[in-house]
Amino acid sequence: MPGLTEKPAAESYLGATKHHVLDDYALDARWSHGGVYLAALPSAGRPVVLDATGTPLAELTAHRGGNASLAWHPAEPVLATVGQDSVLRLHSAPFGRSTREIALPRGWCERVAWSPDGNRLAVTSGRRVLVLDADSGEVAATFDDHRSTVTDVAWNPTRDDQFAAVCDGGAKIWRLGKKSPSGHFDWGGASLLVTWSPDGRWVVTGDQTASVHLYDTTRKTPLHIQGFESKVKCFAWADRGDRLATGGGSVITLWPCTGRKGPDGATPIQLAGHLGAVLSMDFFPGRPVLASGGADGLVLVWLPLQHSGPALLAKSEAEITSIRWNPGAFLLAYTTSAGEVTVGALRTKESTSDSLPNAN
Amino acid sequence: MKTPVTILTGFLGAGKTTLMNRVLTGQHGQRIAVIENEFGEVGIDHELVINAEEEIFEMNNGCICCTVRGDLIRILGNLMKRRDRFDHILIETTGLADPGPVVQTFFVDDDMKEKLSVNAVVTLVDARHILEHLDDSDEAKEQIAFADLVLLNKCDLVAPADLDRLEARIKAMNRVARVHRTTNADIEITKVLDVGGFNLDHALAQDPQFLEPEYPFEWGGIFHLPAGTAEITANANPDPSMRLVIIPVAGDGEEALAAAREAAVRAFSEREDVPSAPSGSALAGDGKLRELILQDGPMCWTFDVPREGHYALFTEHYPEELEMQVMAGGGPVAASPAAAYKPDHEHDETVSSVGIEADGDCDGEKLSRWLGRLLREKGTDIFRMKGVFSVRGQDKRIVFQGVHMLLDSKPGEPWGDRPRRSALVFIGRNLDREELTREFRACLA
Repeated sequence: MPGLTEKPAAESYLGATKHHVLDDYALDARWSHGGVYLAALPSAGRPVVLDATGTPLAELTAHRGGNASLAWHPAEPVLATVGQDSVLRLHSAPFGRSTREIALPRGWCERVAWSPDGNRLAVTSGRRVLVLDADSGEVAATFDDHRSTVTDVAWNPTRDDQFAAVCDGGAKIWRLGKKSPSGHFDWGGASLLVTWSPDGRWVVTGDQTASVHLYDTTRKTPLHIQGFESKVKCFAWADRGDRLATGGGSVITLWPCTGRKGPDGATPIQLAGHLGAVLSMDFFPGRPVLASGGADGLVLVWLPLQHSGPALLAKSEAEITSIRWNPGAFLLAYTTSAGEVTVGALRTKESTSDSLPNAN
Repeated sequence: MKTPVTILTGFLGAGKTTLMNRVLTGQHGQRIAVIENEFGEVGIDHELVINAEEEIFEMNNGCICCTVRGDLIRILGNLMKRRDRFDHILIETTGLADPGPVVQTFFVDDDMKEKLSVNAVVTLVDARHILEHLDDSDEAKEQIAFADLVLLNKCDLVAPADLDRLEARIKAMNRVARVHRTTNADIEITKVLDVGGFNLDHALAQDPQFLEPEYPFEWGGIFHLPAGTAEITANANPDPSMRLVIIPVAGDGEEALAAAREAAVRAFSEREDVPSAPSGSALAGDGKLRELILQDGPMCWTFDVPREGHYALFTEHYPEELEMQVMAGGGPVAASPAAAYKPDHEHDETVSSVGIEADGDCDGEKLSRWLGRLLREKGTDIFRMKGVFSVRGQDKRIVFQGVHMLLDSKPGEPWGDRPRRSALVFIGRNLDREELTREFRACLA
């Protein structure tokens, strides 16, 4: 990151911020393809679509009983949201006026995720994962062999027909068209989060215990990493999957995932700077620059490979619940437990105000 | 500020749903979220009632203490992300649920521990049918053992004397729990929601004998009797029979009564061939156990007093329950001294409570080592452990709570001018009172 070499005073690097307040605790915020739109999801109330500067464009229909998850189409400005009303909504531009509603079977919905080609959506529904055809809205396949409620799902970024789902009993790898899983990594306990490395090699779970499991899908070997301060709550992949950041306690751990053995036997980099649990992280696209937000209300940015201390970008009275770099510009979005959505322009030599993605 | 959680347990048909409806419709001014464990899974609806399927997460080390309720972590995690927070959360378990994983969830999971606290485990007991389950159901025993509050429900269907016996049995299993008798689960809701966890002073106020050992009798006293024939008269029969022992003693002080108490415990340990004594028969001041046959109306027994002196009498009931008097020298004789004892009759053989107390300070390191080892080795059998300790060098009370092998401690109120002392209670299976007491006393400073 140009110009980011030493610990600066607060707000040195995040200028021209814009705030919006959601109806409730902000669960997540995600940039659309190209960073044109930002969608923010409150735990209850209306999801909001904003432009790249953080100006609200539209308020979307709230899910009755509470919202759960959102996901942008990988290439088009189509936003999927699910909630406790067991309804999948597909919102297209112009947002707020063009929404498709797809009723799902009753069940606890935790996650929605688009397939890499954008043709399908995986939705968790109780102990099932439903895969829907994005065009027709029909359920194309149901995967229901899970021991407990499925709490997360992640597509293989390199394939359009394979995803991982986690529940009590670890991770299952499912392929469309197959009735039984192509992989089942049962470590004896419950996994709550799952992420798939951008290169398609690693499936990583965050567990109910203070541990993560990494599964090398090319060799089908599990790797158990424990000793974390507390439950792992977030992941972030650098580059194509060379490094994995794990957060949950106050220390961020950066694991090397290259080489034959990956993190096995390697010494991870530990990043200490937060005063509370790290709740969200994101690597700047294509660069080893990590932004993190925590229960301490701090928004920090790290250059982990330079072993320098963190730079403080912002401080909130509330917990930082999600943090996302805009994929097309030097913009950082973060949300808080108080429902605030903030978009700030990062002041660097490379950033200019006219480089913002345009929603028009 | 942590949000309080009340866990509602009870066997099938005990009245949990009735109580739940009272909570939901009552005018208590609190915003309460209710989590029900029913079969069939649906999401939150606007009525603040969440149905969820029980999901037990067992950890790979096989330790029962790491077993938590995944459904609660997920649902409560979502609830705690609402700006419009709830004042209270009520979790209803299924009738056959083991309360352990529910309680442990709030000890083990970081997020739950940080944002929520267990206010109380409330167990509804069907007074009419519980005895059918109590002997052969581990779940029924554990639900009572885990309780902070027991609602003895459907009391209108059970005779008062049977209720007394049932309550005594419940108390023998769990001496910490408060017991309320109800019909149709009709109880002031604040008594259910504002239990407020374990409070030693409250426990002692409710039951002054809370920390005393249990005895096979309820009452004992020393009578100074002239030589001749003395009489024991009674007018009421709380039970068909009552066991009694008369023991000659050397004096009339507290020490004499304590010595006689030990002899009485040995006498009461005789369970076979106890002579029956109907009204009108003669007793003896020989330290041997007798079983008085009680009847309606006036009763009288005699016993020979060979020489003037002191005689201790120990009975399974308080004298007033039988309208009992000792008559000698032409009039009633008062006992001095006399004492009430915590009875252990109706004692459950497997699940029980052990209370221990001691004046003065504990050595913090010794205490910590002992509790750690104890819960590690015997945590499977210890359902709950609660204690308030005076630790040397600490100005505040140290309050401990344990569930199986999990232990949590926090500073309590400052001691101030009040005498420093420690008290703890274990509720569990196969507890060895003597060993626990000896080991705790070894931790005193």
